[in-house]
Parts: sequence; C-alpha cells; structure tokens
Amino acid sequence: MKVLYQWLAEFVDLTLTPEELRDRLSAAGIAIEALADTPAGPLLDAELTINRPDCLGHYGFAREVAALERRLLRPIKLAPEPRATAGAPSDLSARVEIDSPELCGRYTARIVKGVKVQPSPPWLRQRLEALGQASINNIVDATNYVMLELGQPLHAFDLARVVDRRIVVRRARAGEKMRTLDGLERVLSPEMCVIADAAHAVAIAGVMGGAESEISSATQDVLLESAWFEPISIRRTSKHLNLRTEASVRFERGADPEMADAASRRCAALLVELAGGEILPGAVDLYPGHREPERLALSRAGFLRVMGADVPDGEIEAILNALGFLPLRLELTAHELTVALTANIGATPEFARHSRAVWACTQPSWRQDVTREVDLIEEVARHFGLDKFPPRLHGSRQPAARLPHAEAEDRLRGRLIGLGYHEIVSIPLVNAEEDALFRPSDVIDPAVITNPLAADASLLRSTGLVSMAHALAWNINRGQRNVRLFEIGRAYSMPDGAPLERRIITMGATGLAREKGVAESAREYEFADLKGDLDQIGQLAGGFTWREIERSSWQHAAQAGRVSLPNAGTRRIDLPDGNRVVRTVGTNVVGEAGKLAQRVADQFKLRQDVFLAEFDLDRFYSDYQQARATRRYQPISRFPAVERDFALVLSDGTTFAAVREAIQSAGIPEIAAIEAVDLYRGKQMPPGKFSLLVRVTFQSQHATLTEAQVNDFSARILEKLAQQLDASLRTS
Amino acid sequence: MTDATDITRQTLAALGVSTAADLAPHFAAVRAEFERDAATITDDATWKSLRDLWMGRKSGVLTRITDNWLKPSPPELKRVVGQELNQLRAHVEQRLDALQQTLAAAAESQTLARDRVDLSLPSVQRPLGSPHLLRQTFAEIERIFLSLGFRVVEGPEIETPYYNFEALNIPEHHPARDTMDTFYLAMPPGAEPRLLRTHTSPVQVHTMESQQPPVRIIVPGKVYRRDNPDATHSYAFHQVEGLAVDTDVTFCEFKGTVEHFVREFLGPTIKTRLRPSYFPFTEPSVEVDASCFACGGSGCRLCKNSGWIELFGAGMVDPAVYGFVNYDPERVSGYAFGLGVDRLSQLKYGIDDVQLFFQNDVRFLRQFS
Ligand SMILES: [Zn+2]
Repeated sequence: MKVLYQWLAEFVDLTLTPEELRDRLSAAGIAIEALADTPAGPLLDAELTINRPDCLGHYGFAREVAALERRLLRPIKLAPEPRATAGAPSDLSARVEIDSPELCGRYTARIVKGVKVQPSPPWLRQRLEALGQASINNIVDATNYVMLELGQPLHAFDLARVVDRRIVVRRARAGEKMRTLDGLERVLSPEMCVIADAAHAVAIAGVMGGAESEISSATQDVLLESAWFEPISIRRTSKHLNLRTEASVRFERGADPEMADAASRRCAALLVELAGGEILPGAVDLYPGHREPERLALSRAGFLRVMGADVPDGEIEAILNALGFLPLRLELTAHELTVALTANIGATPEFARHSRAVWACTQPSWRQDVTREVDLIEEVARHFGLDKFPPRLHGSRQPAARLPHAEAEDRLRGRLIGLGYHEIVSIPLVNAEEDALFRPSDVIDPAVITNPLAADASLLRSTGLVSMAHALAWNINRGQRNVRLFEIGRAYSMPDGAPLERRIITMGATGLAREKGVAESAREYEFADLKGDLDQIGQLAGGFTWREIERSSWQHAAQAGRVSLPNAGTRRIDLPDGNRVVRTVGTNVVGEAGKLAQRVADQFKLRQDVFLAEFDLDRFYSDYQQARATRRYQPISRFPAVERDFALVLSDGTTFAAVREAIQSAGIPEIAAIEAVDLYRGKQMPPGKFSLLVRVTFQSQHATLTEAQVNDFSARILEKLAQQLDASLRTS
Repeated sequence: MTDATDITRQTLAALGVSTAADLAPHFAAVRAEFERDAATITDDATWKSLRDLWMGRKSGVLTRITDNWLKPSPPELKRVVGQELNQLRAHVEQRLDALQQTLAAAAESQTLARDRVDLSLPSVQRPLGSPHLLRQTFAEIERIFLSLGFRVVEGPEIETPYYNFEALNIPEHHPARDTMDTFYLAMPPGAEPRLLRTHTSPVQVHTMESQQPPVRIIVPGKVYRRDNPDATHSYAFHQVEGLAVDTDVTFCEFKGTVEHFVREFLGPTIKTRLRPSYFPFTEPSVEVDASCFACGGSGCRLCKNSGWIELFGAGMVDPAVYGFVNYDPERVSGYAFGLGVDRLSQLKYGIDDVQLFFQNDVRFLRQFS
C-alpha cells in the first residue's frame, strides 16, 4: 500500500517527519519498505500483513499513525444527504435486491444524475499517479480516489446501460459469460457472485466491472455501487479467474461493512464536485449482514500471562482508544474477576489476585481480525513497543536431547569425511524416467507430484542415486573429475497410498583415487576403493558382509555387490517375563554398491567410470547402537605372532571366501588373521588355474608358538585346502 | 712440493749451520713451505697426502728433520734444534686438525644443502572431505538450543493438509496459503490427500498431540515451496522450527531466547529487534531482525541501508493452535519460531545464490571443510 504523507495529514495532525514515521510505523508492525518523493509530496510504501485490510486506505492508515502518538483520528466530513423533493425521486429502492445475502452482506446504490465525463483536475491526477493509479476520467477517478482514501472499493455504472435500471446481486449461472473491463470474456460459475441487471451480469461482484456498463464519454447518469462482499467467495473467484484487482484484494482480506455507505456518500459528493450533476435522494442501503459489534475484554492478568511484563493503565487505555476499541476500565472484586477470567478470558488465578483491572472493549467494524483477548494484547504490545519488554532466559523443565541416531550419524559423517568424501545436499524432486533407471526393485509406487513446475522435478526420488549421478555429472562437466561425494538424505515412495520415507546414505566416486604428486604416483579409483570405503564405514555397525547381486540394474554386471549387516534382518523383542527373543523380520541386506553400467552412464553423459553405493540408514543406525552396546575389550596377546604364506594354485572361480572358510575349517583357534596379499593370473599358470598368496597369522593368548606347532597348523590347513578346493602349493 | 723441503734431506752441517742464529731461517723456510702446502687443501684426499707428507712416520718431513737435523747435530745445537722442531710439530698438528674440521664442516653443509626439504613444495595429503555448509548451520543451531534445554525431533516431509495448514490455524481459503505455494502428491482414489510440507511447523502439532507440556523442541528439516528456482528460490529449502510451551512461558522469555540465539549465532555484539508481524499460528507475531553485521548498523548494501537484516519469523503460539491438540489455552502459553537455515547460511557466509547449496560443486563444498 502506497501512502501519501500529505493525504494522511488530512486526517491526523502530523508531528513526525516522513523518516520518523517510517521508523515508528515499522516498529509498530506496519513495515515501510521505502520512502520516495513525488509531485504529490512524500510517499511511504508500506508492506502490509494480510490481516490488516483496514490500512488499505489513507483514512485507516492514518488511524495507525494517530495511535503512534495516542491521538484520535479526525472524523470523515460528509455532506448532508439530499432531501427527497417532488419531481426527482429515485425509484431505485424497488429495483435493487440481494439474491445471495451469504455472498453480499451489504449493498448500497446511489444515482448521480447529469454528470459531465471529462478528464480529472490536476490535483486529483497527481495523487492518483503518485500512487501508481492511471487516471481514466473524472468518474472512475473519483471511485478510485475514495477507495484509496477510505479503503472501500466502489463501482460506477453507466445507468443508461443497466437494463431496466434493475440491480440483482446473485450467484452467476453455470457457464454464464461476461466481458470484463479489461476486454476479456470471462466464463462464470455459481460459486461466483455477480451484479446483474434485468438481462445479464454487469459486473463480477467485488472483482471487476463489465465492459458493457462501463462509464464512457456519453455517460450522463451514474449508478454508484458501494458494497460488502464475503471475503472467501471473492478470494475464490479472483483465484479462479486469475484476476486480482485493487477491489478484490480489499474484499478478500475483509472490507469494513460500516464504511460502505459513508464511502458512497463521500464519492457521490466528489462526483458532483468533479462532474457536476446532482445526487438523487432515496439511496438504497440493503444490509442483510448487519451485526452488532463484538464485545471483547482485556485483563491485566491475561496481558501479564502472555507478555510477562506490565504496561501502565494509561498506556493501555490510550492505545486501545486511538485504535477504536472504546476501552472501559472495570475494577472487579477478586471473586468477580475469577469468575470472569475463567469464564471467557483465560488467566491463572495467581495473576488475578494481583491485578484486577479489566477493560471491556468493542470490536470496531474495521478490525475483523481482532476477536479475542490475545488479539487485544498484541494491539497494546505493538503500540507500547516490543523493545520495552525485558528479555529473560528461563530454565527448561526437561533435559535436552538430540535425535536418537545423532551420534551414529556424526560418526558416519566423520568417517566419510576422513575417507575424502564431501557431503552434498540435494533437492529430492527428480525426473521420473531417470529415477526409474535406479529405482529399487521393492519400490512399486513412487511418490508422484501432481502439480510439478518442471518435468525434471515431477517425482520424489525413490533413491538418492539419481541425485548423486547428477552431482557427479555437474562436477565432471566443470572440469572437476576427481570427486567423492556422499549424501545423508531420504528416499520416498507411496506404497498403496501410504507415504514412506526411508533414511538413506548415498555415495559416489569417480576419477583418481590418488592424484599424481611430487611424492606419489596417480591411481584411478576402482571398485576395490569403493568396497574398502564401505568396509571402513561398515565397521561402525558390526561390519558389512558382501554378496553378489542377483540381477544388476544400474550396476555394471561384473563389478557390483550387495552389503548386509549382522543384525539388520532381526529385531530384539523384550518379552513381559524379562526374557528377550530375536526375531527375523526381513532380509539383512541393507544396500548395494557397484560401478555404474555403461548404458546408464551414457544417459547422464558421464564419460568416465563412476562408482555408486547406497544403503539404508535406519537399519545401519540400529546396528550401530547394537555394535556399540556389545563392544568389549579383547585382550592383547603378550606372545609373538607368526606369519605363514601359502602360495596357492586354485581353479578359476574359487573365491577368497571359500579359501578362508577352508582354512577356518581346520579348527585352529590360534589363527588370528587370514589375508590375501597377492593375486596372479597369467602364462606361468596351467590353464584354468590362478595363484593366490594367502598369509595366515597365528598367535596364542597363552604361549609362544613353537616351530613344530606352526608346521603342524600349516599341514592341517593345506590338507583342508586340498580336500575342499583341490588347492596345491605353487612350486618355483 | 717445493724445493724448500730439500734442505731437510741434508744435515745441518752440510747446510753450514753452526749456531742457533743460523738455524732460525731454515726452520722458518720449512714452516713457510708447510703453509704453502696447507693453502692448497681442498678435500679429504689432499688433506691426507699433506698429512702423510709432513707427519708420515717413515718419510715425513718431520721425521726427516729428526733424522737429518736433530740426531746428527752437535751437542751445543741439539737443544735449540729440539725446541724448534717441537714448535714446528705442534704447529703442523694444530693446522692439520683445524683443516680437517673445516673440511668436515664444508662436507656437512653440502649434504644439508642437498637434503634440505623445500618447504614450499606441496605436502603429501590424504584427500579429506567436508560436511555440507547447511549441515554445519544445522549443527550450530542445534548446539545453541540444546544448551537451553531443547529436544531435537523430526517429522515426515510428506504431510496431510490438516497438519500443514488446518491445525496451524490456516483454513482452506486463508490468504496465508498464497505465500506457501504447495506441491501435492498423486494419491490412489479414496486415499487422504498428501502434500510436501511447506514448513517444519506440522511437527509442532505432532509433538503436542503426543505429549503434554512442558514442550521445548526444535525441528530441523527440509521443506518445499512451489516456486520457480532462481537465486533466491528453490523447490526445497531447510528450516529449524522451534516450539516452547509451558505454564509460564511469556513473551519476555521468548525475547530472551531469541536474543541469546542471535548473539550465539552471529556474534556477541549483534543486536536484535522484534518487529510486529502476522502469522496465522502465532499471536503476537514478530519478525526478528539482527543489526547488520556487515556495516555494524550504519547502513550498507547487505542491509539495504537500513542497518537491520530480517532473520526469521516467530511469535507467541496462537491459542487457536492449542485447540487442535487438546492443550488448555487458559493454562499454557508458548512461543514458536521458524529459522531458515539456507538464508542464515547465506547471510553468515556471504552466499548470494541459493542454488549453490544444491549444485554440490566441489569447488564450493571444499571451501567449508
Ligand atoms: Zn549493513
């Protein structure tokens, strides 16, 4: 709302400069965004909150200005109504009716006869133009001027174009059409309220007038409408037609029904001043929505309970008075007060003992937003000054607590950062086709957006992999080819109409694992790096077990795996008898990892190898808790460890896991570690065979192992390997 | 070497020396000869040959002087020859020692020069990642409110219109909905409508439904608005909602809490200003401003010359909200606030484009490691 300083001065004695006014109004909740100089004087640009339609006119705005200094607003000067004289009666009253009083609470109509349509005088044009309103002609300008002054939208019809001089306020008929002032043909519906004449709709009530009854240079008699329309209906209509006007904004936020007739009188007088003619007596004022003003009460006790600090009586009364709440101070007995407070105000009796003051107030017609004691409290507090309330810090009556998984998440994040991964945050709205490339097999119903703004953001992702692929591509396309990223986020789906949000972590890596430097040579990131990073993370939750994927989707068929956690598929249940059982509740597979398949990489135009992984965090966090709870110190042996290397010749396809299992099957408790340290496939091997160098570490908690013991262990291990895997030792 | 040492191959008699006075020039000549030799020493090898030449047990110059001069000299000269010879020997030994030390020092400094590390060369570093800046801001906000006894809770991003709007006193045709353009989800026929929450406030309602006061919670999370992305808008952003409800929570405590947060988050000299505002779920409502940390309040581009920067919206919980969760509005009161994590991060680190948070360019991410 743009406001002219000089115009305000017509309603209130201004002692504050425009700059002071800006600061004081902002502190009282009327934010002034800018000050400007115009030919019509200083201008304040106010950004009003939606609850303050009363400030959408200079008069109402001036009330706030007056309240700053606890002054009263000057009343609006209205010319006396014309008396009915013989010869010139308006027969309007018989011709105006409200068919839909639920949409139109008040309708006033006046006729100004014999006007001369012409350009407005300079003073009027100057004010309108300063406020961004184009000047049209003296009639239309007068209605706009009064709207800007009093906040009440008005509409002027060319009476000659109103068929039968009849006005019916009714719901539009389904499919009814009307051309509005902006020249567009509008299709109306029964939720909309229209002003109609005997033949058809001539205006969309409270939104915009019709082209047919528009004021033109030929207009002689004007029918002036000033009404009150139901806010929700106006809002719906305006949204439906995608048509926001100065009038619709005021009506949808709630105009002042008591202002309708006063504004009409003010406007009619202005019309006569600008365009000549005479106001016909016998104006119509239908007011089916009339109601008595609400009674409100503000108690000091209630004020203290919400605000925590007091305001002197004089200030409370002066503020409420200036804002039009007509406060009346009552001093109640303690008993009366308690009854009154518990009945309808709401305050604790402790306060009541100390502060008995209660102000009975009346809700002004322009403040439909103030209906409760707390609303009055806000009015007093904002004009008293929020800066005057002392800040205090209270103790909490409950312990502080982080999220249950916060510690696990911290450890996970810390480890990934240590491993060289940067954390990313992405917006989970994605392209549906891209999401489908990565979608987990158990997601059948993805979460689809019905009103997306772009096809690339039409679905809530079912996995973080799609976001990760984009983040990697973004970096590679900008010359950042060695990148490791992770995201702790959510994946979404809508199984059978029940939303499901899973916590997930997604990892992505590409480029060099180690960059070339003075002291080091370069090395490409490979699957073993991804597996290693995942294993180091998995240690936090008891360790990942790797399995082959059953069927590759986004992964390269030969370089992929699934990870599971030891307890992820089970749940511990405490029984009433104090015992605890472990139930299997599903698979313990928590995630997948792999190199991105070429066909998917091509879709994202990724021209270098990309490695991705994702796993479920809810189960990871729960396994983290369990691993942490069950972790105990393992004694460190005082006796030396002995290593033995076995250069095994194995058949192709034999896994290290099988080798380890065979070694473990020898049942030697002194085996402390089994590691693979070298792998050889090549010409020196017989066809169908490869060589694996396995290092076994033996250590006893009780004694130093002798040569003979270790030899015996080795022999037993070799025997098992030969039996189970047909393995032999490499000779050379 | 030079001819001077030749005199040591002859006896004193042959040199015509008969008195002590005759002797001195010969010793002087020998010493001068040694000095000339010593001056040519450049490394261990030449030092060793100098030592052998002069101190050699069998044929060194000093041995020759003993053999040719001292031993055959007549008794009256013997004492003087002995004295001169001892002085010469001491001088030669001392000079050789000194030379050796000089050589050793030179060798060492040469080694050091070769092995010295170039401190300006890059070090060997393991690559290190970084937490996302938004995550760091979340953590900082959490830390501040945990110290005040708040509990952290979370809630779903897919919400019902009831929790996102109605229960927060925003009924269906409320104009406040205009400021929160909303994404809706496709639902099977008959299912309850769902939307992407436009603020973290629904978690207030969930929390109050599940527990009686005292409540002191903060709610970090992602929220969505149907705005076309640009430098100040994105489909999603992040909030930390706060809610405190108890039998004695007042505006003064709210103000103290907000001021404490602003000082902790932006710095001890930053001032706070509360401006009355409007939100459907708070009454009174305020906008919280901080004195501009870029200019100290005198006015600059960041604060649009006002000296103040708008931080977030807040207020006392509107009693209407209590009606939705069966709290007794005559017994309890409270406050709520909604911090924009992206906005606070932008302000604190001077980030002018909100899209930078979601592009995840490592050149951006690395700056906050
Ligand atoms: Zn500034």
